[in-house]
Amino acid sequence: MTTLVVAPDTSGMRAVAKRGRWAAPYALSGPAFVFVSLLLMLPLLMMLRLSFYQYDAAQMYIQAFTLDNYVRFFKDEFYRQVLWTTLWVSAVTTLLCLIGGLAVAYFMARTTSAILKRYLIIAIVLPLFMGNVARTAGWIIILDNKGLLNFLLQQLDTGGETLQLLYTSGAVITGLTSVLLPFMIVTLNSVMHNIDVSLEEASLNLGASALTTFRRIVLPLLMPGIFAGCVLCFILSMNAYATPILIGGPKFYMMAPTIYKQISAAMNWPFASALAFMLISLTMVLTVVSAVMFNRTARIGAVR
Amino acid sequence: MTSIGKASPLRWTYLIFVWATILFVLVPLATTIWVAFFSNKILSFPPEGYTGTWFVQAWSLEAFRSGFFLSFQVAICASVLALCLGVPAALAIGRYQFRGREFINTVLMSPLMIPAIVAGSAIYLFYIELQIWSDVQFASTVYGLTLAHALIAIPWVLRLLVASLAGLDPAIEEASLSLGATRLTTFFRITLPLIRPGITAGVLFGFIASFGDLEKSLLLVGPGRITLPIAMLNYLEYRTDPTIMAVATIQVLIIAIALIVSDRYVRLGRTF
Repeated sequence: MTTLVVAPDTSGMRAVAKRGRWAAPYALSGPAFVFVSLLLMLPLLMMLRLSFYQYDAAQMYIQAFTLDNYVRFFKDEFYRQVLWTTLWVSAVTTLLCLIGGLAVAYFMARTTSAILKRYLIIAIVLPLFMGNVARTAGWIIILDNKGLLNFLLQQLDTGGETLQLLYTSGAVITGLTSVLLPFMIVTLNSVMHNIDVSLEEASLNLGASALTTFRRIVLPLLMPGIFAGCVLCFILSMNAYATPILIGGPKFYMMAPTIYKQISAAMNWPFASALAFMLISLTMVLTVVSAVMFNRTARIGAVR
Repeated sequence: MTSIGKASPLRWTYLIFVWATILFVLVPLATTIWVAFFSNKILSFPPEGYTGTWFVQAWSLEAFRSGFFLSFQVAICASVLALCLGVPAALAIGRYQFRGREFINTVLMSPLMIPAIVAGSAIYLFYIELQIWSDVQFASTVYGLTLAHALIAIPWVLRLLVASLAGLDPAIEEASLSLGATRLTTFFRITLPLIRPGITAGVLFGFIASFGDLEKSLLLVGPGRITLPIAMLNYLEYRTDPTIMAVATIQVLIIAIALIVSDRYVRLGRTF
């Protein structure tokens, strides 16, 4: 009996591996590893180095070790504002994604109809791969001055003036939420699957209301999914490019388009590199901080 | 549906909210396809009639036609390249326990995690440096773009292949080995046929991810040689009309076909 418990899953793997030389896995994964390291890791390191160089209009940049690019970022009102806009738009988007995602993922996991379940998953996964440009295009038609929403509003109350919906931060949040919701739903759905329905049934049988059951039973079990989904949505909206450009308009600045402009138009590569690393490290710091806070609240919740 | 009680106002609000959220995701796509068939020359509601001429018009615009071919070519080359690199890597990660396995896996999956616009900028600056050193041009060439797109496809190939290897009983490979087949024979006669659905799905997902990519390609394309999503973005920044919606509809259809085909090999519901 004990042997059965000790060996089960890895036995086959070990037997296969034993016959191979120890170098085999390295030889197999080597080419891909070198490829990704050379084409992504090395460029990122070079970009980090570049962010400490000095900008020079004639020579593009001068090799140096200066913090000027980072100092400029914090001193310049404009870039601080860009960062602030990016942060709060991302935070609101993530929150909206969470609220909508919770409802849909819960519905999807608990529906008894297998057909509905299968097609709902496909309907949610399809837009995930459609590309942000095509999906944002739909929002332009809806929110434009001559668009669908204004048309419908005019049908309802004649004589009302057209609403300026496009090129507002509300429009950007709407577009981003719509684009990122599938990511949240898919993440929550994968965790939802592992939650035993009988736990909820037990809670309901014992007299708790549906809302209490959701809050006290489902939500705590769903926490890892909620955390993963929020981090994903937050990172993706911090780095959004197409949506802010297309429905934010030329006067709405977020980080990703600003980096692109610094490289392609302003040609200030050291500053662009500094902006890029500010974006990466800020995203990483916020992720780590929220992970720590998440662990702490989870522990407090467990004690209570 | 068992868990939230019977018909109550709360339950109705919940159901309405669920379906409203699903519509919120799907309506923009549906609107795009709807408007592509309007006969109105400029964007306005209601439709004056319906026509298919915008699809012809879209095809006659050079930027979209060449963008489509470039995207298609790059996506195919990139997913094949990702497959050549990804299959052995997936075997190593799915079939062996070795030092640094987690690290290698993280590095290979990193193209999915690192913000696309940052990665694209870094690769662009790297290509420029490379050109200064070696005098070989990478930036704004098809090769440079294809290499970067292979980077996009690798995590998908890896993810789907490792998942499909995990569902494969190692005992079958062991049996082949103990009956005297070499490792190479075992791979080609036993493992490969069994993980073929995973390979097909991996290539299709790699293709889809590459075909729809915008941010990584932005800086890497050259003048007169732009991919379809970039051509669409450039057009949309200045005008919104049924023509661009026809282009978007075509893109949506291509990706939908690729997804439905891959759904036959790996059930999407189980992969996600």
